[in-house]
Amino acid sequence: MKLNRRYTRSIRSNLSFYVSASVLTMVGLLLFYLFYVAGTGIGKYGDDFFSRNHREDASFTTMQEISDDDLRELERKYGVQLEKERYVNTEEEDGKHVRVFRANTDIDLYELTEGAAPTADDEAVISAGYAENNDIHIGDRVTIGGKEYKVTGWFLRPDYLYMLENITDDYKNITTFFLASLTDDAFDKAFEQSSVSYKVIYGDPDNEKDFRLAVNEDYYTLSYLSADENTRITFVHEQADMFILAAWVMLVMLPFITVALISIIIGRKIRSEQKIIGTLSALGYRRSTLMLHYSLLAVIPGLAGGVLMAVAAELLSDWFGSLGLADYEPMQPEFKLPVLIALAGIIIPTVIYFIAALLKVKKLLKHDTVELLSGAVGTQSKTHRMLRDTKIKVRKKFAIRSVLGSPGRSFVVFLGVFLGAMIVSFSYIFIDSVKAVGSQAMNEFGTFKYEYILNTLQDDEPENADSVMVVAYENSDGKRFSLMGVDSDCKRWNLTDSGTGSRADIEDGWYMSSLCAKIFGVEAGDEFTFRSIASLEEYTVTIKGIIRNGYQNYIVSTRENASEITGLDTSLYNCVLTDESRSFDGDIVQEIITSDTFTNQMETMLDEMSGLVYALIIIGAIICIAALYVSINMLVSENANNISMLKVLGYDRKKIDKMVLNGNHLLLIPGLILGMLTGYGAMAWYCDAFVETEGLMIPVDFSVPHIILTICIVTLCYFVSLLLVRRKVEKVDMIESLKDNRD
Amino acid sequence: MFIEIKNAKKQYGTGEAAVYALDGVDLSLEKGKVYVILGPSGSGKSTLLNMIGGLDSLDSGELIIDGRNISGADKKALTAYRQEDVGFVFQFYNLIPDLSVEENIEVVADISKSPLDMDEVLKALDIEKYRKRFPKELSGGQQQRVAIGRAMIKNPKLLLCDELTGALDTKSSLAVLKFVEKINQSYGTTIIIITHNEAIADMADSVIKIRDGKIAKIKENPQKKAAAELEL
Repeated sequence: MKLNRRYTRSIRSNLSFYVSASVLTMVGLLLFYLFYVAGTGIGKYGDDFFSRNHREDASFTTMQEISDDDLRELERKYGVQLEKERYVNTEEEDGKHVRVFRANTDIDLYELTEGAAPTADDEAVISAGYAENNDIHIGDRVTIGGKEYKVTGWFLRPDYLYMLENITDDYKNITTFFLASLTDDAFDKAFEQSSVSYKVIYGDPDNEKDFRLAVNEDYYTLSYLSADENTRITFVHEQADMFILAAWVMLVMLPFITVALISIIIGRKIRSEQKIIGTLSALGYRRSTLMLHYSLLAVIPGLAGGVLMAVAAELLSDWFGSLGLADYEPMQPEFKLPVLIALAGIIIPTVIYFIAALLKVKKLLKHDTVELLSGAVGTQSKTHRMLRDTKIKVRKKFAIRSVLGSPGRSFVVFLGVFLGAMIVSFSYIFIDSVKAVGSQAMNEFGTFKYEYILNTLQDDEPENADSVMVVAYENSDGKRFSLMGVDSDCKRWNLTDSGTGSRADIEDGWYMSSLCAKIFGVEAGDEFTFRSIASLEEYTVTIKGIIRNGYQNYIVSTRENASEITGLDTSLYNCVLTDESRSFDGDIVQEIITSDTFTNQMETMLDEMSGLVYALIIIGAIICIAALYVSINMLVSENANNISMLKVLGYDRKKIDKMVLNGNHLLLIPGLILGMLTGYGAMAWYCDAFVETEGLMIPVDFSVPHIILTICIVTLCYFVSLLLVRRKVEKVDMIESLKDNRD
Repeated sequence: MFIEIKNAKKQYGTGEAAVYALDGVDLSLEKGKVYVILGPSGSGKSTLLNMIGGLDSLDSGELIIDGRNISGADKKALTAYRQEDVGFVFQFYNLIPDLSVEENIEVVADISKSPLDMDEVLKALDIEKYRKRFPKELSGGQQQRVAIGRAMIKNPKLLLCDELTGALDTKSSLAVLKFVEKINQSYGTTIIIITHNEAIADMADSVIKIRDGKIAKIKENPQKKAAAELEL
């Protein structure tokens, strides 16, 4: 007998197992690969784009303009590259805001994605995201500074890949705000006066401090923003990091579990072949031959699943990656599955299945051939005595013993439910958590309804409002936060010490928001050292307590204490908290934060990420069905003798289903609960890591409707799997199974 | 007649590999009698038993049991037939390993319309003291008695025994056959035993020999022996 002939026969007779195990392997790996390819694709694009277009290391503004000669001198002295950027902000009659640049020549160059650079005075190139969002084509006309220009192209800039109008904004604006660039002549003719900012690239990062001190000493630094703190720039790598983080979460959640699940099933399938193994062993087949034979059969789902995964990842990676780029300017990263990584995806599960089969056959062959021929190895249930003396109906006893008496088999069914519940709940918890940002943020901010951030310092105390002094500082790594000075009796700002639950004693020292504490790794009682962004002068304060606020990065004390650090008069303020909407004289409001601000931003973000989230839910459902199908399919195979006997005894399909299949309902609830808890835990871990990348503490939330929906989806998947397997129960042949039933 | 089989045919395989397991079998069996079907392996006796038991269906011909045409019955009707009218005893007992003795019997009583009393059956088969044990904890003969109990609890019209002593030693075989005889006498159950063992034929009212899917011979046995007198 040639064992090789069994390969095709085995595949044919176990086709549903091979198909579902391959699909499960594929889908289990696919999410990791999609996130990984998207993350690395975006990251690589960012690196290449930044390098190609000379992304700044920082930008700054000064009280005194730096002359071109002085710039060259600074470059020479500190080994830096500098560019003076000229720009104008305009507000058009249709309400559009335009930031018009005189094109840079050395730093933060613009790159055309369509069309050509302007050559005539009435031509302009505009930011690509706005053009796409507003359906503006090349050749259309746009108004800039009250004058019409013909659009000759669209562009991206490294310092505006995430289109924030103001750096303090939390969400992009590609609806009413865009960038434009004219020819130098056209710019000079159109705008007599323009704003100036400076872009710097450090040749040697060690020179940064000396350079900044020199600039502040000679020209007085008004603002300084490093690229690492510039959300218009960092969001690209943050998105990449977020995807790669999600990939690792997926790796822990899915491939490990699915591969483990299939390995268990392979082991059990081999155990069910013990009579054949015993026969072959009795016929003189060597252990190594048998081990190799079964191990080669086991690699099929690994190979097929891995190859399918590689093909699917290659086909889907562009679509999936683009889902994560919905927020950004229309970048064009290349989402390529690296060959080595693809090979790893094929080889690793294949090798694991191979080893699982090898070990199982080896373990089986340790038993006597006679024992194998009887088919009794590993079939003894340890819990068959359970419920023996109870009055429960025998059918229920059978169902319960079937589940509890075969823990390995029940574990794989449990894993199927668990996997589905985990992925589906993870997706819904993401939605709920992002939504919770909107609803919880204002509670943590305080009782005010409006927060007005002003662009100039004021000193006339506002009525029915709290005024706050806010100044940006940074630590020695350049990580920024806000230093806030509030009145001792400030009512509207949340000043509850999360440690004591009572009002923070700000007259006695400094308190820190929980977000700030998380970012800087500070706890109550710790000393916190930071420095002025302009002068780099260092200060150290003791943090008395933490105020629960996962959305704002600040330390807070009284205006007097703040004044000692900022050097500003205690009467000055640049932030107003009110209960009602109010208007201010002139154009002094830089930003208004209301209870709707976060809600709207989060809803917009959710809208754009919904494709990704729902794709995850669908994949979760497929995994759930496939995992349960292979698990329950195995259960039916292992119970074929009992099923056939029940048929002989006159049991109809419904009664057999109840006894053999429905016992697994017991596993549904723990699978759902543990799956949802693990999904919750995974999201908590993800959100924790999210603080570093996004500067936002997302509260992990799982709403009741979504809990119900998760339960419904997973339960539906479970019953769909049962429905598919019921056909298998019907197919169990009474006579054939009875023939096999030799004790 | 209780059982009427007319020109029953059953073929397995196709083309050159086709085998007629039943090749035009005609048979009439009376109610309350014990029948032994003898024949070599592959003669078709198990196939005949499967047809009578509603486990399989004929390709052609008629099978009428107690006035009901089984040959044309659908799956649902066959299930109902197995549930109420027929009991099976197999060579390898086919007990459900995760159920105790009484549970293995209860599994049938549970779906039966008018089952016999459990204690009565256990007592009749002398397995009362093993009621809480599991199949693995019993000898072959004890397991076969449980299998008979399981078949009998529904008080079937027909008891089909497929090589019921095939896996037992002589002593156990005799004990089992005594119980079968007792059932026939106590409940008037029609019993069909298929076996290789010609000695068992002596306890039958009628012996049917089958060869190559055809009835080779039917022999009435007016001087049938009691099971206890059989020389196995």
